[in-house]
Amino acid sequence: MDFTFTEEQELAAQALRGLLDDHCSGADLRRAAEARGAGAFAAARALRRERLKELGLAGVLVPTSAGGLGLAPIDLARLAEEAGRAALPEPLIDVEGIALPMLAQLAAAAPGAHDALAAALAQQATVLAVTPGSGPVAAAVDADYLLVGRSPDELALHRRDALRLTSVESVDPLRRLATVELTDAAPLAVLQGSVARQAWDAAASRSAALIAAQQLGLGARMIAIAVAYALDRKQFGKAIGANQAVKHALADAQMRVEFARPVVYAACAALDASAPPDASASLRVSHAFVAAADAADRAARAAIQVHGAMGYSWEVDLQFYAKRAWTSAALAGGRSAHFARLHRALLDGSAATGPDHLFDAGAARA
Amino acid sequence: MAIDLRYTDAHRALRAEARAWLEANVPREPLPSFDTAEGFEAHRRWEAQLHSGRWSMVTWPQEFGGRGLDLIEWLIFEEEYYRVDAPFRVNQNGVFLFGPTLMEYGTPEQKARFLPRLAAGEDMWAQVWSEPQAGSDLAALRTTAVRDGDHYVINGHKIWSTRAVHADWGFGLFRTDPASERHRGLSYIVFPLRTPGVRIRGIPQLDGKAGFAEIFFEDARVPVADLIGGEGQGWSIAMATAGFERGLMLRSPARFQRTAQRLVELYRRETAAQGAAPIDPGLGAAVTQCWMDAEAYALATYMTASRLIAGGSIGAEASLNKVFWSELDVAMHRAAIALLGARAELRAQGSEAAAAADEACRWMDGFLFSLAGPIYAGANEIQRNIIAERVLGLPKG
Repeated sequence: MDFTFTEEQELAAQALRGLLDDHCSGADLRRAAEARGAGAFAAARALRRERLKELGLAGVLVPTSAGGLGLAPIDLARLAEEAGRAALPEPLIDVEGIALPMLAQLAAAAPGAHDALAAALAQQATVLAVTPGSGPVAAAVDADYLLVGRSPDELALHRRDALRLTSVESVDPLRRLATVELTDAAPLAVLQGSVARQAWDAAASRSAALIAAQQLGLGARMIAIAVAYALDRKQFGKAIGANQAVKHALADAQMRVEFARPVVYAACAALDASAPPDASASLRVSHAFVAAADAADRAARAAIQVHGAMGYSWEVDLQFYAKRAWTSAALAGGRSAHFARLHRALLDGSAATGPDHLFDAGAARA
Repeated sequence: MAIDLRYTDAHRALRAEARAWLEANVPREPLPSFDTAEGFEAHRRWEAQLHSGRWSMVTWPQEFGGRGLDLIEWLIFEEEYYRVDAPFRVNQNGVFLFGPTLMEYGTPEQKARFLPRLAAGEDMWAQVWSEPQAGSDLAALRTTAVRDGDHYVINGHKIWSTRAVHADWGFGLFRTDPASERHRGLSYIVFPLRTPGVRIRGIPQLDGKAGFAEIFFEDARVPVADLIGGEGQGWSIAMATAGFERGLMLRSPARFQRTAQRLVELYRRETAAQGAAPIDPGLGAAVTQCWMDAEAYALATYMTASRLIAGGSIGAEASLNKVFWSELDVAMHRAAIALLGARAELRAQGSEAAAAADEACRWMDGFLFSLAGPIYAGANEIQRNIIAERVLGLPKG
């Protein structure tokens, strides 16, 4: 029984934080949002992508036998938190945490996926997963390959240019949304049936858990921005942060983030790199998703309120983190569905309750 | 170190041993309220029985009657304890507040004198800190303990002292330097509550029972040997106690998980039984949120325990715990009261034991009790200030 991260996990997170402090500041996000994909934005993005490659994360969840690092979702938890803290526009976590393990599963069964996997592991190509039936997908326009399915019983690999992508505007311009439609093009590789379904199920859980981790980072960042403002801004001759109404709003946001944190970490620790979770792990993921989404929302609202009229202005960088938190709450099935799932499990008795079940079989992976 | 949320074989063996002992020893019927003379004595006997199985102070060193368990092992014991609804720890202020303080600041003689009796349930302890004009602003306290030879002579007025009506000893904070101000010149002194010159008047709580008391001191003489730590060090020692109180051990997560479990069971029963009067859908959301928060509190405690075992420390973030569990406890009981509807107000007829055994009474008594949580051990407004100032770095008001 140990609930502490390894030194390697912490060092990797610190390295990512340092990189993102340098290459993904609030000012960087503002330039990107205002450039709408053009000119300076593209150059900054290219530089950031090069630096991210140097972290050596490619294939972090891909088995070593397939050329990856063979690590587990918990190894990505702190990194996802840092990506959230910076509102990183690039889909680093979606690629490494969701799509690449699926591509490796596909490549193990279908030779047509070998080239894509090799290119992705060599960081020469980007692959994203488009959950069957989902809405517009962030950053799909920048991907080289997309994993899709006409239903959850199919997992197919296509080059992006073989599919029909239509850009869609988001309130969060950094998400670069597009709808993805299948065409008549034959896939490069395809899996059918229960294997495909399990791959999508497992991906959905990883996605929810790692989005929750990003929400922790977003929440912490927004609180930090609000604290800095509350120290700086003076009214009635003193910093507004000396007022209890301001203090208590931020203390409450901090409390929600800090009590979402262990749930998110436990959820990530309960997941496997490719196999679907058991029932208790699955519920913990839903719990993590709701708790982290609510915590980030609480932080966003407190931080905007603390900023006063500035909080409602385009001028404050806070908006990029807040919008990411709100749009993220609707991903991976959405906060509402996860909450409803927990409610149903309590009502039908399938959720374990009581003091002695916290880490029962399955809820804790090696 | 790496996250691995599995129990070891030793953990499983400890759980099995605790479960077997508790199932064989926990009273079949709930004990009467510890805020009655009858109930207090019944709870005192339970403390002695726990000690006979060496389960009364599991984290204490063996030499003082404990098992030397670490915090994860303590959590496992607590899970088993609350799983079977074992009696409330009537001496918890002694077990979790005074005991750890004495181990850190007491002399060997003081430890030998007090700890074994505390562990055995022979002495029940009450905290004697607050005064009518010194509540959240504890440093404003004015009760004096003036040195006279080898005694302190205590004069003043303390209040809100939990279970002082029935307890044996008090651990108090007094001004030993009458000229001092604020947190200087205070000392941590223990005394028998039946000392001549000490008058105790019970204060009825919301449930009508005298669960706390005010204490009047009129030239009460206490030996200097019962000073804990140095004269004038009272504030820092008291703050260490407050750390234990807000921190990990006062409220084990198992207690809230068990309440959440009872709440979920109540919700399921009421949902299955609903006929003409459907259930407010908001209550389903409230129950779900309560279950989530009880789980989160348990996971957070395991994470903190793990960090402490690995050599970390707990500081102002303990205030996060206090706000979280106290508000969760209120939320759980409010949801249950709403589910019970008109049954919630009804009192069981007859004995205290009947009330303790009655589902609706348990929820209502628990609800009234839960309302104290956001107030005692430092009101939640003070805790939020601490979080804002010491965790987030905002300026003092």
